[in-house]
Amino acid sequence: MRTPFVWMVGCLIGLGSMPAAVASGWNMPVGVTDLSREIHSLHMIIFWICVIIGVVVFGVMFYSLFKFRRSRGAEAANFHENTTVEVLWTAIPLLILVGMAVPATATLKKMYDASDAELDVMIIGQQWRWRYEYLGEEVAFNSSMSTPRAQIRGEESRDEHYLLEVDNPLVLPINRKVRFLMTSDDVIHSWWVPDFAVKQDTIPGFVNENWVRINEPGIYRGQCAELCGMDHGFMPIVVHAMEEEDFEVWLAERREEAEQEAMGVDREWALDELMERGETVYASICASCHQAEGQGAAPAFPALAGNQRLIDDADWHLNTILNGVSGTAMPAFRSTLNPVELAAVTTWTRNAWGNDTGDAIQPAAVVEKLANQ
Amino acid sequence: MWGVIKSVLAAFFGVQKEQQRREDFKQGRPMAFIVVGLVMGLIFVVGVAALAISVAR
Repeated sequence: MRTPFVWMVGCLIGLGSMPAAVASGWNMPVGVTDLSREIHSLHMIIFWICVIIGVVVFGVMFYSLFKFRRSRGAEAANFHENTTVEVLWTAIPLLILVGMAVPATATLKKMYDASDAELDVMIIGQQWRWRYEYLGEEVAFNSSMSTPRAQIRGEESRDEHYLLEVDNPLVLPINRKVRFLMTSDDVIHSWWVPDFAVKQDTIPGFVNENWVRINEPGIYRGQCAELCGMDHGFMPIVVHAMEEEDFEVWLAERREEAEQEAMGVDREWALDELMERGETVYASICASCHQAEGQGAAPAFPALAGNQRLIDDADWHLNTILNGVSGTAMPAFRSTLNPVELAAVTTWTRNAWGNDTGDAIQPAAVVEKLANQ
Repeated sequence: MWGVIKSVLAAFFGVQKEQQRREDFKQGRPMAFIVVGLVMGLIFVVGVAALAISVAR
């Protein structure tokens, strides 16, 4: 009689330590939306069903192995077919599966219902950054990782949010249903923020939908969850969730900035101004491939520093940035960057690292070129 | 006919009595089982689709 007792105590100790494992950070987060809470509780219910089944099945198995061992004179029963047992072991799993599928389906239905959103944000995956466009608001920006390369190479100590920090985070209001329209410019990426329980593939040529209604303000981080090439690990997601009033203020500021930027297209820019702006754009957009010093990374990413064709042919240089190079990793930036950014980054790459052409490419010239193509 | 339906249902479920199995194989003609199996398969698929559509409403 002692053996089953020992087994039971062992199982109870095992079960008792489970909550510790659950709270350890290894588990799925509860998250900050109603839906993420619901998904978390579904996950836990199914987890515990699996634990109970595992304990019962392995408990019975090990108990039987031990209790009816041959050295104690146990004889093997030799029978074929028992309809009652077969019906039971088919019906019970069926009922368990249906029992799990009913609440899971109810939650799935809610996840797919992106109707009646109060704000639409287009999320575009690019090798290797995210682009966010607030539809109908004239606000759009790129969001690149801001962790310095020196930290990645181990030359500096790592920040708290190593590889999970960006230059321009996505800003969203709390308590509002935000619909995401998700696509990609190049390969399949996946926009994943665990605290929202959102993980959605972004596929070139497709627009996927998802939505979120955040309950608590805060900073939430995520990553690309679909292997998308060399810097797949270096395109994190950061979301600032703000109170609605703060969000409106932020949005108005960004709108203002966009207007200023649009006005800046017409005026004549000084070389220094363009260089200053171009350096920022280069660091955010170009440096992941062409490297911080323009030295490139052979064989995929050509060097820009000392690139003779680039130095000799300003027209070809600007064209390459606007339209990309088909069949290579160089994408077209004509719609990702605005004319000021395009002019600035062209100017920067024509003058940095000893290229020294002295050319100042004007935003107005870029606008003209875009209009003629 | 009822016996054929019962056997097809048992096959769907995956469990059949040995005695019934012997009985079925005595007939020596598989056509009835094939036809009833196809018809019931169709009914099952339509039933699942109808359930899914009604839930999705």
